[in-house]
Amino acid sequence: MSSRALRQPLSLRLTSNIFLAFWCIVAVFPILWITVMSFKSPVDAFDSNALNVIFGPATLAKGQGISILDIIAGIAIFWGTILVSTKTLPSMVRSYTKPGQAWFGWVIGVLVVIVGFLLVFFVILPAVLGVLNPIFGPLGKDVLGLTTEHYKTVWIDRGFSDNFQNSLIVTTGVVTLSLTVGTLAGYGLARSGSTLAFWILIVALIFRALPPSVLVSGYLPVFISSAEWLAPILGENAPTLYGKPFAVIAVLVAINQPFTIWMLRSFFQNIPSELDEAARVDGCSHFQAFRRVIMPVMWPGVITTGLFSFLLAYNDFLVTSLLLDAQNQTMVPAIVGMFNRETTTTDQVVAVAAAVSITAPLIFLVLIFQRQIVSGLTAGAVKG
Amino acid sequence: MNFRTFAAFVGPSVFMMLLFIAYPLISVFMQSFYITQPIYETVEIETCTPGFLTQTCITEQVSQPKLDEHGEIITQTEYVGLQSYRNVLEPERAWRAISNGEWNVLSTINFWKALRFTLTFTLITLPLVIGCGLGISVLINNAARAIRGPVIFVSLLPFIITPVIGVLSINWLFRGDGILTAMLETWLNRDIALFAQAWTIEILMMVYRVWHVAPFAAIVFYAGLQTVNQDSLESAVIDGATRWQRMKYIVIPHLMPLIIFVSMIHLMDSYRVFEEIVGFSSQGYVISLQWLTYDFLVPDQAGNRSISRASASAMLTMIGVVILLIFPLRRTWRDHKGGH
Amino acid sequence: MKLKSLFMAGAMSLAAGGAWADCAFENDVPLKSLSAGFEAWKAVTDAMAECGNFSASLDQEFREKQPEAFAADPALYQIGGVSNATLVPLLNAGTIRPVDDLVEKYGQNLLPNQLIKVDGKTMAIAMMVNAQHLMYRSDVLADLGIEEPKSYDDVLAAAAKIKEAGVMEYPIGATFKTGWNLGQEFVNMYLGEGGEFFGEGNMPTINNDQGVAALEMMKAMTEYMDPEYLVSDSTYVQQQFQQGKIAMANLWASRAAAMNDEAESQVVGKVTMAAAPMGSVAPATTVWWDGVVFATNMSDEEADAAFRVALEGMDEDMVRANNDAAVWLSPAYSAGELAAGAAASAEAGAKAYPASGPMGIMHTALGNGLADYLTGAKDAQTTLADIEADYTTAAKEAGLISN
Repeated sequence: MSSRALRQPLSLRLTSNIFLAFWCIVAVFPILWITVMSFKSPVDAFDSNALNVIFGPATLAKGQGISILDIIAGIAIFWGTILVSTKTLPSMVRSYTKPGQAWFGWVIGVLVVIVGFLLVFFVILPAVLGVLNPIFGPLGKDVLGLTTEHYKTVWIDRGFSDNFQNSLIVTTGVVTLSLTVGTLAGYGLARSGSTLAFWILIVALIFRALPPSVLVSGYLPVFISSAEWLAPILGENAPTLYGKPFAVIAVLVAINQPFTIWMLRSFFQNIPSELDEAARVDGCSHFQAFRRVIMPVMWPGVITTGLFSFLLAYNDFLVTSLLLDAQNQTMVPAIVGMFNRETTTTDQVVAVAAAVSITAPLIFLVLIFQRQIVSGLTAGAVKG
Repeated sequence: MNFRTFAAFVGPSVFMMLLFIAYPLISVFMQSFYITQPIYETVEIETCTPGFLTQTCITEQVSQPKLDEHGEIITQTEYVGLQSYRNVLEPERAWRAISNGEWNVLSTINFWKALRFTLTFTLITLPLVIGCGLGISVLINNAARAIRGPVIFVSLLPFIITPVIGVLSINWLFRGDGILTAMLETWLNRDIALFAQAWTIEILMMVYRVWHVAPFAAIVFYAGLQTVNQDSLESAVIDGATRWQRMKYIVIPHLMPLIIFVSMIHLMDSYRVFEEIVGFSSQGYVISLQWLTYDFLVPDQAGNRSISRASASAMLTMIGVVILLIFPLRRTWRDHKGGH
Repeated sequence: MKLKSLFMAGAMSLAAGGAWADCAFENDVPLKSLSAGFEAWKAVTDAMAECGNFSASLDQEFREKQPEAFAADPALYQIGGVSNATLVPLLNAGTIRPVDDLVEKYGQNLLPNQLIKVDGKTMAIAMMVNAQHLMYRSDVLADLGIEEPKSYDDVLAAAAKIKEAGVMEYPIGATFKTGWNLGQEFVNMYLGEGGEFFGEGNMPTINNDQGVAALEMMKAMTEYMDPEYLVSDSTYVQQQFQQGKIAMANLWASRAAAMNDEAESQVVGKVTMAAAPMGSVAPATTVWWDGVVFATNMSDEEADAAFRVALEGMDEDMVRANNDAAVWLSPAYSAGELAAGAAASAEAGAKAYPASGPMGIMHTALGNGLADYLTGAKDAQTTLADIEADYTTAAKEAGLISN
């Protein structure tokens, strides 16, 4: 709103900001609330009085709580992490990597931030505060019931880190494969005005609209007996596709393809075709033009589309729960399993802690890629 | 671009879609016209099961599938035409209910009950999502630059959260004496049970869906707002246009392609509403078309599943989606032809 | 300090991974199992894992996967966990093997009660039984001078008194969640009334006086239940009990231990386990069992190892360590007060759940169709007629009823 002519009266700005604040509360409240619940003893977590859930008297009574000093330190570290990942990280990545290898810098940077946060928050902070709390008297006294035992149960006793690893494998596979296949197709579709291209898009759209449960249950018998029907082709080494992460990756990529190609096609349409024509005049083939000229200007679009692929793979329940066995189980089916088991209230709070755990990486991801998402969409991904 | 290059570019993608989507889809289509069932024989069998301390044995007639010499169940497949569709639609019962004007009877027949809810859900949430999305994007655009980043971050949270977890968290807030229900109770000073009648559950489901999807719409619209032509806005101010007029004649038309894009995605997604049904366990009151298909498909404890009816109901769901999509698609066709 | 405990936990889990710690033999045949995921299975499969070379899948989708995985050749899992209902598809497809020879070889410690016999052949080894039975708050009932309820009429009368006295607004809890749970409640009631589900040629026969009586009793109970009863499953009822919100419920025996769990229950020692309320003919409950089965499509060597590992899984050490997790079928099980309800129900003549192919379809039809009656959308006869029609359509499609 740079222009004077468009300046708004104070009253309007005030109302606008109040509504915005209201929306922000609505947006975060459920997530914030399950986070609070996950740190309480079962009695507190499911109390019908909101204040009891927040202050956790039963948790405090068991001698598990934090002091005002702890709270201040915790908030400071959170804030620091946010600052680092939104301000310092992008500039560091930019200055330390060559333009073509930015993605590599991002991967390293993100890992460093996450590991650093976990180290500071769960190891250094408790040690430092253990010393400081007794010194500060009333400020160091426990006021808020809070326990991390449920997280300990989830990650250590229940082996949730295995599920985390499996999720990581599946999501990485899906994002990589889906973007590779998708950018090629998106480019081809954007640059071809043929009727065939149109019908591919329409059929893809109808595929996008299909109820997935119909397709997925058809895979199961075929995947389980794959060693038998693949044997004539592959002989002895025919694999059983059921329970194999790569098979699930292929299915998820295929299911995600319609959305990916639509989205990437719109991105490519916004890149003037004069650009590749010029490259072609210089003697490049279509593939060379695509690789050398088009891809470098496509990063915002690829990141945005990649994020959607990531969300789909990371959040998927239907495919992963049916086609993976317990040894390769990803996080979402594992959590749903925890809720569906014959559970006690304690188990439920443990499951809540698991639910919060799987939301945390998503939050980090958005923190880091937010700028790219918005600029990607602004670049005109979505023309309809 | 010649055909060969085009094929090389789209080949891998098309191949994957054919293998994992089109092929199963065709088999679903075929299955909706056939019924495959084992051949049963009745035999008398004594079964002994544990009681609390001693075993109880009963001898009874049971139906058992016949096995061939390899130990596989012998099945027969029969062409039944539209029988499975009739089993899903129950046209006689539906027609009787309609001609007697008994709408409440019609709404107890599964398919029509599901269709009713799916359509209501889709058509009510659509304007809400577009409206809330627009509203939020305008609010963000109005806010000071410094707070836009954090606000966008917070707004994106409901969209990225794993749907299963999102539904559960809303569930905890409202179910039984969930804290929000408890607050409502103190505020209105009466007993409230949100999961005890159909309409409150429907509202909760819609609220959840709007909460979940509106951020996506908002971010897309916000991106669109960045490219609104500032000059035409300023000249509109000079011409004395009110805020509302500027919104209506400049901003909305500019965002129109995005609105159509978001509507299309939302139509497709909400027409296959499913997670809400399972998450809020609302089957007793409302069901959706995809839930119906799923219910046919999931085997009961004895391993029976209704594949033919599931296929038929999946096909009917698809026909519905195609009808809903025809309008936005005509536009794409024009764009596609006009764009080259 | 936290870091140290982390390392400790890591070291402990390594030690546990060191295998055949408490197992009588060292297993060198790779084995896998697929079962449901509830607590008892966790205990049993953990004990099996002590023999080494064994991995367990506790999977909530096991119902869908088990028939397919056992039909594969070789079978993807050697050991399966089933209940009396989920045994049916495996039995029908012939994908599980009789184990009489193995029982003779290794099964000296098995109780005769544990051997599931079909047509004279041992097809499965049961490890636990489960049944719904009455749990009630003895303190609340004693305060108001109410006797232990023996029938559902008693339960209703007691509920009326409790409500009148203003002790609780909704004294009854029940697992009325639409779907399997609600279907199960009807099965209990209907069998209690002495009803039969099927007639000649698998035709449904529930639209009768017993059916209507069962429905009416269920509706009468809802008067005294939290209005959100159609979403309440066993965990929810258990929580209502723990928080002191309800006084009576017909709940699973496997939930009994949770009432006395100090960490989450506010009613420790106040809940009494009693026999399931009587219907007109029998107790309104069904007896279920859970046990292990062995795949047909594996070598005899694997079968031998699988059987021994499975027996290790339900040996006396495991039962003693997890005594309250279930009503175990084992000489080592000490049936405390918590199991009194299940025992009393069995004594009063509770029937086994009538698992069969048609019953699977009927259970689903009941679970989906009953809500219409409870919400008042249909009357009792129409509801039962519609459920029968629903059943008939599905059974015809499955080939169980000839056209």
